Amino acid sequence: MLRFIIRRLLITIPTIFVVITLTWGLIRLAPGNFYSGEKKIPKSIEHNIREKYGLNKPWYVQYGRTMSHIVRLDFGTSLKYEGQSVNAIIVRSLPVSAGIGFLAYLLALSVGVFIGSVAALKQNSAWDYLSMALAMIGISIPNFVLGPLLVLGLSLNLYWFPPARWSGLISRGIVLPVLTLSAIYMAYIARLTRAGMLEVLRSDYIRTARSKGLSEKAVVIRHALRGGIMPVVSFTGPALALLLTGTVVVERIFALPGLGNYFIQASLNRDEPLILGIVAFISITLLLMNLLVDIAYAYLDPRIRY
Amino acid sequence: MRFWRVNFRLTFPLINRLLRKTMAGRYYRQILAALVLVSVAVGSISCRAMASNEEFFGRIAPAPGNVLRYITGDEPESLDPQKTTGLPEARILMALYEGLVEYDPKTMDPIPALAERWDENNDSSEFTFHIRKNARWSNGDPINANDIVWSFRRSLAPETLARGASLGFYIKYAQGYNSGAVFVHDPQTDKFLLESGFAPASEVPPPLSERPVAPASEYKPTEKEKVPDADTPFHQFMHSPTRLTLPGDEKSRNKLLAQDPKLQAAVAGKEFVKIAGKDIGVEAVDDYIVRISLSQSAPFFKGLLANQFFRLVPKKAFEQYKELWAQPGHIMTCGPFRLKEWKPYNILTVERDPMYWDAASVHLDEIQFFPTADLPTALNLYKVGEVDALYNHAVLNAWVDFVRGKKDWMDAPEAVTIYININTTKPPMDDLRVRKAFDLAIDKETWIKWRKITKPLPGITPYGIFHGYPLPQGSKFDAEKARQLLAEAGYAVTKKGDGSYQCPKFPVNQVEYLFPTATSNKIMAEYMQAQWKQNLGITVPVRAMEFKTFVDARSKLDYKGFSFGAWSADYLDPFTFLSLYYTNENDNSTGWWDKKYVDMLNEANRTPDQAKRYELMSKAENYMLESQPIIPVETGAVNWLKKPYVKGMYPNAGSLFAWKFVYIERDSAKWDYSTPSTAD
Repeated sequence: MLRFIIRRLLITIPTIFVVITLTWGLIRLAPGNFYSGEKKIPKSIEHNIREKYGLNKPWYVQYGRTMSHIVRLDFGTSLKYEGQSVNAIIVRSLPVSAGIGFLAYLLALSVGVFIGSVAALKQNSAWDYLSMALAMIGISIPNFVLGPLLVLGLSLNLYWFPPARWSGLISRGIVLPVLTLSAIYMAYIARLTRAGMLEVLRSDYIRTARSKGLSEKAVVIRHALRGGIMPVVSFTGPALALLLTGTVVVERIFALPGLGNYFIQASLNRDEPLILGIVAFISITLLLMNLLVDIAYAYLDPRIRY
Repeated sequence: MRFWRVNFRLTFPLINRLLRKTMAGRYYRQILAALVLVSVAVGSISCRAMASNEEFFGRIAPAPGNVLRYITGDEPESLDPQKTTGLPEARILMALYEGLVEYDPKTMDPIPALAERWDENNDSSEFTFHIRKNARWSNGDPINANDIVWSFRRSLAPETLARGASLGFYIKYAQGYNSGAVFVHDPQTDKFLLESGFAPASEVPPPLSERPVAPASEYKPTEKEKVPDADTPFHQFMHSPTRLTLPGDEKSRNKLLAQDPKLQAAVAGKEFVKIAGKDIGVEAVDDYIVRISLSQSAPFFKGLLANQFFRLVPKKAFEQYKELWAQPGHIMTCGPFRLKEWKPYNILTVERDPMYWDAASVHLDEIQFFPTADLPTALNLYKVGEVDALYNHAVLNAWVDFVRGKKDWMDAPEAVTIYININTTKPPMDDLRVRKAFDLAIDKETWIKWRKITKPLPGITPYGIFHGYPLPQGSKFDAEKARQLLAEAGYAVTKKGDGSYQCPKFPVNQVEYLFPTATSNKIMAEYMQAQWKQNLGITVPVRAMEFKTFVDARSKLDYKGFSFGAWSADYLDPFTFLSLYYTNENDNSTGWWDKKYVDMLNEANRTPDQAKRYELMSKAENYMLESQPIIPVETGAVNWLKKPYVKGMYPNAGSLFAWKFVYIERDSAKWDYSTPSTAD
């Protein structure tokens, strides 16, 4: 087990290296600069800016310098937002993204697993059809449609919740973003749970458990559910990583100061250190989450050994 | 109706039976109750929607407290006035900092701020500002003329990297200082080489600020007080003939010298002296008088001084914290408000500064700026009453029809022009007849009717902004003449059997219409394409580009045919538009430049009489339009919302508001029930 973890951690390093190199190359290819705008700037000032940020050096020098900073986990200072370090921006915006993402996933997980289990237990009943129909709707409606619809109904007409803006994790303002964000995951989890449960409920060990005279509750919760949510667990890794590191669309619609919002703005601003910092952070999170999922697998499924 | 009833009767028992069969059957009543609840909710939504206040857009409920909540657009890049160029920042900086002058809330003309009054010499090439004696920084330190001189030098210093520095290039030697240029000093005679010996001879006399000092006759005699007769060595230096400046960078200097043997010979054996901050034309005459000498006549210069670039920055904080001086905790300001809290991408709050010289007349206790760039989100926040006013152009195109009938929608012309650039350097657009043909083939009247809120644009200066300025005639839509011009240029337009036109000889693959990605730009591109197709039989390809990529391509003339163009005023004078074609550095992205045009504008700027000056400028504009480097399309219009209880905020031509005049009115009888007038 320990060897497995170490091996996986070691693979992570070259992966992140490749991701950052590719991102760095793509930023180079994009025309325009962080300082370019509608109005032209004096040539000498442009020259001085390029000098200051080392943009007039050959590409390998720039690349080498960027990499040496990243190795030390120092992503530098944002080019657009004067004096703000990339690390500080990530530290500041992560709690917003992670808070919303975690709540959304919690909601998605509890409701999704419940609906999926009920659907599986009552297969082919009206409940099953209803919940699966809802899940289908949840998967098909993109969040940039669902978000504004929720805002229209619950905010603009009923004035129950503010339509946007961040005022802390414990506030009425997070209800709509959390709902919007969780819908699609809820739907996926419901479908995955149903599929997993259906498979498990037909398996031999459940029959054994039933024939031993265990109560239905014990069979379902202690035995069936544990095997049935395996697909959900493997889905959780990447899903949680993406949720925690911010979702561009929802953060934009609800004007939340999260990582996703910074990411899209950084790309539009050609803010190289900020883009690289966020990309590196997201890839590290993603790889770590996948590793955690693999470890969780070993605990949940007795057949898996590393 | 009938269909619904039949269905209902048929299906309801079916649902009933289905439900009873399942586990849910037990919760039948609860589900029924839930359904009733949902229908009540839906019903109330639609009832509320109908009962919503029709007069205004959304809820009208001022927040408790004397607070203005305002959406300013993008997240501010920095709170250092010289590090930003955008409007979102400009509005925040107007709360935090003051310049020598401030924008009038209605007309945007310069009004006294740190300077309580000013004198202007007879050809507007020198200004004397009288600083008020009670101005203070937010920490209580007094502000005097030396602070102002330091701030000007800092803003133009090359290491400040101010992107808006060219606004200050009217100041004598400022451009040289900013670009790191050098004077040429002769160690033997201890004199500097002068420009006049090397620049092409000009018939026009130099501005007064370059002629020997003559204060008695130089300033207008109508001033309340006599202009102080403070002639200093620096003033003499300013009023001496312009020194020769050469590039500071050795490589470009040698290149320049290699091209000009006369210059090279003159420079030989001389030493190069870097232009320093102390050489630029800003002088503290005494503790409360600042004199600014320009290198040319620029009557609009005093209006330019309200721009964020010229707002005062603190020497003390800068020396202590260097580049981080404008961060929360370090920042020192001089405006009516000071920084209270800054949570990036969320909220920036400023509060009334008790140290401000005019603190007693500042109405608001606090302004909350929200950086929300997403337009629907901004409108939603406004509709539910979470914000009191929106930034300009916040109303989406699709919403305009609905919103513009409301009493809180601002309807006024804007100092913004929208036009099409033509790359005049590449065929077939290097032919004037072709350029004219493409202009005449567009029915602009129909376009403006369709756009609803925008105003016509005959030339490059906006319509309805500069009162007394004779706008050019503008071209009239004339498809017949357009076809004729194209034929003259060698591209005959013929009629096809179905009545449509074709122009088989025209090299369509050498033109295209380039625009930055945005729905409104796309609609405009498609309209122009359709017009040219319909009237000339030429289908010009249109291409969208991400904004920064587009700006890059356009400024390098890396486009063929046409590109979208828009310009917003830096200050309220026609010159801000006309100067686009003034320098030979292709700021205008068309490749067009003409010495005669520059001379005409210079002559206009030397004219003290405003009516006469406008006339001369208009002549220059017409001269430029004759060459058709652009196709004028429309004058912008402001397009934003403000709750009726927000007073003292006017839809001025630049959407910049002097916040100290803004207040919240609780008495609904005194609210604004239409767009407040910007007439004085």
